Amino acid sequence: MTAFLVRRLLAAAAVLLIVAAVVYGLFYLMPGDPASLACGKRCDAAELAQVRQTMGLNRPVYEQFWTFISSIFAGHAYDNGVGTVWCSAPCLGYSFQSDEPVTQLLTQALPVDVSLVAGAAVLWLSLGIGFGLFAAMRPNGLRDKATTFVGLAFGSVPIFILALLLLLLFCVWWQVLPFPTFVPFTQNVGQWAENLLLPWFAIALTFAGNYLRLTRAGVLEALGQDHIRTLRAYGYTERRIVARHAVRGALPTVATIAAMDIGGVLAGAVFTESMFGLPGLGKLMVDSASTIDLPVITGVTLLASFLIIVANTVADLLYAVLDPRVRIS
Amino acid sequence: MFNNPLPARRIKLASLSAAALLVGGLAAACGGSSTTTGATSFNAASCTGGTLNVLDQSTEDTGLDPAVLYTSGGGAIPRLLFRTLTTRDTTAGAKGRTVVPDLATDTGEASENATVWTYHLKSGLKYANGEAITSADIKYGIERSFSSVLAGGPPYLRDWLVGGSTYQGPYGSDPDLASITTPNPTTIVFHLRKPEGDFPYLAAETQFAPVPKADDTGKNYNADPVSSGPYTIQSFTKGKELVLVRNTYWSRGTDSQRLACPDKIDISLGLSSTVIDQRLASSIGQDADAITTDTDVDTATLAKSASQPSLKARLTSGNFPDTTYLAFNTKAAPFDNQLVREAFSYAVDRTSLVNAQGGSQLATALTTYDPPSIGGAYHPYDYFPAGASGNAAKAKQLLAQAGYPDGLTVTLAYDSNGSSYDGPANAAALQQALAKAGITLKLDAIDDSNFDAVVTNTKTEPALSLFSWGADWPSGAPFLTPIFDGRDIVQGGGNFNLAQYSDPSVEAEIDKINQITDNSKAQAAWGDLDAQLGKLALTVPLYTVNDVVLHGSNVKNTYVDQWRGWYDISSVSVK
Repeated sequence: MTAFLVRRLLAAAAVLLIVAAVVYGLFYLMPGDPASLACGKRCDAAELAQVRQTMGLNRPVYEQFWTFISSIFAGHAYDNGVGTVWCSAPCLGYSFQSDEPVTQLLTQALPVDVSLVAGAAVLWLSLGIGFGLFAAMRPNGLRDKATTFVGLAFGSVPIFILALLLLLLFCVWWQVLPFPTFVPFTQNVGQWAENLLLPWFAIALTFAGNYLRLTRAGVLEALGQDHIRTLRAYGYTERRIVARHAVRGALPTVATIAAMDIGGVLAGAVFTESMFGLPGLGKLMVDSASTIDLPVITGVTLLASFLIIVANTVADLLYAVLDPRVRIS
Repeated sequence: MFNNPLPARRIKLASLSAAALLVGGLAAACGGSSTTTGATSFNAASCTGGTLNVLDQSTEDTGLDPAVLYTSGGGAIPRLLFRTLTTRDTTAGAKGRTVVPDLATDTGEASENATVWTYHLKSGLKYANGEAITSADIKYGIERSFSSVLAGGPPYLRDWLVGGSTYQGPYGSDPDLASITTPNPTTIVFHLRKPEGDFPYLAAETQFAPVPKADDTGKNYNADPVSSGPYTIQSFTKGKELVLVRNTYWSRGTDSQRLACPDKIDISLGLSSTVIDQRLASSIGQDADAITTDTDVDTATLAKSASQPSLKARLTSGNFPDTTYLAFNTKAAPFDNQLVREAFSYAVDRTSLVNAQGGSQLATALTTYDPPSIGGAYHPYDYFPAGASGNAAKAKQLLAQAGYPDGLTVTLAYDSNGSSYDGPANAAALQQALAKAGITLKLDAIDDSNFDAVVTNTKTEPALSLFSWGADWPSGAPFLTPIFDGRDIVQGGGNFNLAQYSDPSVEAEIDKINQITDNSKAQAAWGDLDAQLGKLALTVPLYTVNDVVLHGSNVKNTYVDQWRGWYDISSVSVK
């Protein structure tokens, strides 16, 4: 297990380095000039050159990349006009747009996505597994077909449509919930949950259909196996067989997909954040891309990649825990 | 030159009579306007209290540094924090386009042929920290805007001030800008390298807000600037929320242009336009006390308002002086031929373009470069009458005369951003209309983040572009000079004279008008110049945007100021 984790850690570091290099490479291949955006309108060539120098964009790309990498480990001093400010390691640079440290922007945005995934994952797993079991208990019956259809229908609706529908229903027509805004968990737990209820359901309803399908398929496959037949012969009730034995057949797959989905939402739920006005990583990424804010683009991409690597590692570990036939080595 | 606008501590009452005059004056001005709306009666004398909620798309990522902000007339939110030498008249209707004193006692004394401008500060002016505002602070605020670490503001000071083109700001080895002098703490004098009759308008920009040198934190100043306006920042999380509370050192006694009714202003940032429209339309709970400073009403809500009088009553309209137009590069074939340019002018279908914007409530067809909303500088003309839907026959005739009897194929560059005025909907409408005249338009969508950089670079400028231009202040000068003055052709990036047109007689006329300090005479002269330039078909003016905005049901004294085309939130109330 330790050797596995060490190997994964080293691989993750290599992947992150490659991701950072690719982002830098793409940045210089893509059209657009952040110095020109910062310089404003009617900025002549001389002014533009000065702004480019101030932003450090006049230096060779490899030098800029090296500064970025070395700052992560050693920190970096930045000139703010009246003096220098020290960006402590792990320093991911300062935003071209807001002049704030990228690490600060990431630590402000990440709790939004952690909050989103915390509630949404509980909901989508409960709904997906619950209704998956419900459907599997009477395969091909009316409730199986109805449940599967509803699950697939929600999964097929684009999340921005679903989000808008939820806002209209709960905030405008029935007026039972406020238009969401992000209230930190540490500030007020009640308001935190109340404001995130709609985003949670928007994500959960979109994802739950997939888990319903996976659970149903896994349980049905397990129900056809010999040990289940033996349990039936012993007189176990169908409910007990499904809930305690057959469900184990579906869990490894569900856990693997869940770990990866959780990683994906943590790395930024662009549409959900945008529709509900939640300032998470997805919104930060979109905003920074539209303003060619290289330090933020790189920072968000690295964090998102890191979260996805962690999610994949967790998925592998979970698989081994839930399926004794799999061994981590 | 606001391209794509979208796309902004307590002084004891010096005189009770002055305060009474102010309150009475503002209330009368606002209440008497046809654009004024409000749920119930509004009384400026008793309007204070409550929390105004603002729902905005803007993330305010670049913060609130007065040196970096690029506003028209000080913007909406910045004007709550920063007072400037002059400001816009806080009045509904055409009077809102006039410039009035703010920190200064008047709009400026011009001398030496409008090359020297002198301002005297009012007495008793203080920052939110209780310190006195001095003329040296205003000078320092302007000097900061020259630093490359604080780039982004309007370019005029660099061009106009003596030594401005080489000055590097106050952080370097040569920190003093000698063309601004402060003979005493209440006097500031500007020495310009050429006459500029519009200087009082420029003095309304945030670069003319005072900045105390001791509190300057350079790039980091944008998160917590020292306020000189009626509010100060309580908390600011970029991309999420900005909360303003009263500056206890500000009073109406020294400020005739801001009522500052709410005790608190809570600005939600980074919201989607759909959600803002929904929240304002439904106006539930705290949203009844809500307004927006950057989101036009969507077409669906506008259509719904036709059958809902209560919703319609909460709609307010106005105009920001802007023009969306076809820009010819006259240095590139075939647009070096005036006949071709005239053919395009005849061929455009302005009705389809207006429809692409959502209909006549949201846009007005334009045949002049100066839009009507610019006031005195608007002189109506239509030299190449295309009618409502284009005159294809006349266009074909002109193309034949120009040597293109079988029509021609050209490429149109436009901004790929769907919500942009110079975006895809317009490009498609133009393509369809010009095809009737035998003109095949190939479409070249340029990414929004790169559009200006490509089009305004003389080395990369396409032969034909779809562009829009807005006024930094409501005058012919910032509308015409960057577009038609040959001396403003900037090699490399940042050139907005897209025609690359240069005529010494036009430049002489521009210099002559710039010497006029009587605003009405100056605007009339700018209008004449526009009418003269229109004959050359250097552009095809297409339409100007009408701003229609919505507010919550409990917000009173709402009007769209005619300087910027947006709500003036310094006047609204929730009491």
